[in-house]
Amino acid sequence: MLKHIVLKEVWENISSPKFVFTFLLCTVLIILSAYTGIGNYRADFKEYNSAKALNKQNLDASPSWQALAGLGTKITKPPQVLGTLAAGIQDAVGRNSTVNIAYDPQLVDSKYDSNPVFAIFGNLDLTLIVKIVLSLFAILFTYDAIVGEKERGTLKLALANRVPRDQIILGKAIGSFISLLVPLLIPFLLGLLMLNLYPDISLSGGDWSRIALMFLFYLLYLSVFFTLGLFVSSRTNRSSSSLFILLFIWVILIFVVPKSAVMVANHMSPIPSVHDINSQKDAFLQEIQGSAPQKVAEWREANEPVDGDDPTIFQEKFRAFLTELQQDLTARIDAKNAEVEESFQSKRRRQQMLALNLSRISPASSLTFGALALAKTGIHEHERFLNSIKTYKPIFTKWVNAKMMENLDFNARQQPKPVLDDMPLHEFVPMTLADSFALALPDFVVMILMIIVLFAGAFVSFLRYDIR
Amino acid sequence: MLEAKDLTMRYEDGHLAVDHINFQVKKGEIFCMLGANGAGKTTTINLFLNFIDPTEGQPLVDNVDSSKDPLEAKGNIAFVSENVMLYSNFTARQNMDYFAKLGGKPDYTRDDYYAVMRRVGLQEEAFEGKLKNFSKGMRQKIGIAIAILKDANNIILDEPTSGLDPKAAAEFATILNELKEQGKAIFMSTHDIFRAKTFADRVGIMKEGRMVMQRSSQEFLAEDLEKIYLDYMLGKID
Ligand SMILES: Nc1ncnc2c1ncn2[C@@H]1O[C@H](COP(=O)(O)OP(=O)(O)OP(=O)(O)O)[C@@H](O)[C@H]1O
Ligand SMILES: [Mg+2]
Repeated sequence: MLKHIVLKEVWENISSPKFVFTFLLCTVLIILSAYTGIGNYRADFKEYNSAKALNKQNLDASPSWQALAGLGTKITKPPQVLGTLAAGIQDAVGRNSTVNIAYDPQLVDSKYDSNPVFAIFGNLDLTLIVKIVLSLFAILFTYDAIVGEKERGTLKLALANRVPRDQIILGKAIGSFISLLVPLLIPFLLGLLMLNLYPDISLSGGDWSRIALMFLFYLLYLSVFFTLGLFVSSRTNRSSSSLFILLFIWVILIFVVPKSAVMVANHMSPIPSVHDINSQKDAFLQEIQGSAPQKVAEWREANEPVDGDDPTIFQEKFRAFLTELQQDLTARIDAKNAEVEESFQSKRRRQQMLALNLSRISPASSLTFGALALAKTGIHEHERFLNSIKTYKPIFTKWVNAKMMENLDFNARQQPKPVLDDMPLHEFVPMTLADSFALALPDFVVMILMIIVLFAGAFVSFLRYDIR
Repeated sequence: MLEAKDLTMRYEDGHLAVDHINFQVKKGEIFCMLGANGAGKTTTINLFLNFIDPTEGQPLVDNVDSSKDPLEAKGNIAFVSENVMLYSNFTARQNMDYFAKLGGKPDYTRDDYYAVMRRVGLQEEAFEGKLKNFSKGMRQKIGIAIAILKDANNIILDEPTSGLDPKAAAEFATILNELKEQGKAIFMSTHDIFRAKTFADRVGIMKEGRMVMQRSSQEFLAEDLEKIYLDYMLGKID
């Protein structure tokens, strides 16, 4: 019996104009998004490679150790291949960071900075399509699932048979879910095929696991709206009111909740502005830099060479002093930066967590967090990258200071050209799949709970539904 | 056999829609229930199909209380509801196929469906036509066809002739008589007293939830049923 109900439901949906329209639109959208996503990724990757090459060129061309210490090296963030499915914050956040002996490294030059026209239209990635368009389809497929059959009298006719009600609701749920799956699954596979066709895009086994998990996330997300549709449909007596209620909830969940969560979190747990932080850091930097000449003068006064002393001995002593001073001052800058940053970061993390948790009321937020965690294009991975640069900074500083002092030649006109053979390199280990999944797990759980509650609600409501 | 024993339905708002009614529809019998709008005919039918639970009394289907064992009871009823829309994206045959399967008859062939559609007088061109292009009367014919396909002992019809043209109504009467000959117990609500007279074995008149009159065909053929009905409607008799 269940089989007949499921088949009828699938067939009824698939033969409806609604389905044809949905399917075509999904196919066009998903293929378009895969196409633009791939195009963007390839362009970003090219830019990344040329930025790296340019940095190498600049380093090699450094005229002196002082110049290298002052100008520093540039670290560029590589684009994520899964950004083609979930662009995340990649385009909005900085991609380059200069690491030198002075400033606290920051990631700057976002894609939107360098070409604001990208910001106007944003990204049309698969996650956005699922979040907005497909969730709407999930509602369109279910808003009249129950109440529509009542209006057409078919529910009465069906239940005038030896058919238990639970079979009807189960059959309808399974059948409509299958018919909703088709317009998602087929274009999704087409998109993946496209991704696979480009020789310069290589997906590792880990990437495929991430893609599979992302698909699962999309499915769960759509199931939330699907069961919500069933639930409302089995609690209303007119399909027009069911549609109206669902559209209202849809707008609230997708547009209002995530935005207000951030606003509320901002209000409940304020953080100092970036300008405050930067001016604190700058003030300290100025203080340190200002104190240096005086310290040098003091030292010279105390250690003034007496006539007859070997000037080279004095020079060596002076070099040792300067090296120590330089290392000490830069270490203090780094320590101060780390301290300021630490307190700022912990406040910001608290605010972020609050915003995230508040917005999880909406499955749209859960979808976003989960997809970004799995695609490694979210806040977390960005911060990890920035932290890796901050960890790298003292290493670089120490090395370049030592080199600079070692090669300080008080007599030579021309300083020696730096040799970069033993320059420490910046290293970054991307988040492991297990860590990404752990990050996405709360959203996983939240969505599954929502589905269970909504389906149970729909089920019970239908058992008591007045079918007349 | 269909039987109402002191069947009573009071809605939550306190409205007494069916008030202790009693009747019997035996095998091979057609029972026509007359009554003004809002008299309680559809409510009575809904009680037999357990779409609602009776406040009192029993709706019996082949001696099974429908409020106690609705699935068993419904297995023995074929139902034609008033203005059923059916699935508009399905063809006539697809609609019939689905409901035949729900009715426990999964083995019908295309020819079986066509035969029944011919029997209810649907034009050949419409056999594979989508329901959305059907007129009200054409849908009604499919509704009747679905009931025939279920081949249950009892048939309940709620105003089946509304929307049928005179020719179709006459054909419908023939079909009902055939079904009766097959030994079905047939209960139908109607406003069409003239046609009821021609094929009913018993006629009941409902007024404000009460069964105010019941007559067998021998009885009502001898009297002026139209006048009695109208007198009840106008309140000349209670
Ligand atoms: N859910 C309900 N709650 C309260 N009253 C109801 C409900 N459904 C029907 N009624 C009332 O019960 C009475 C009988 O309604 P019913 O539909 O059985 O009449 P009917 O004889 O089928 O009329 P018609 O010829 O118009 O089809 C009406 O007065 C109606 O208003
Ligand atoms: Mg009625």
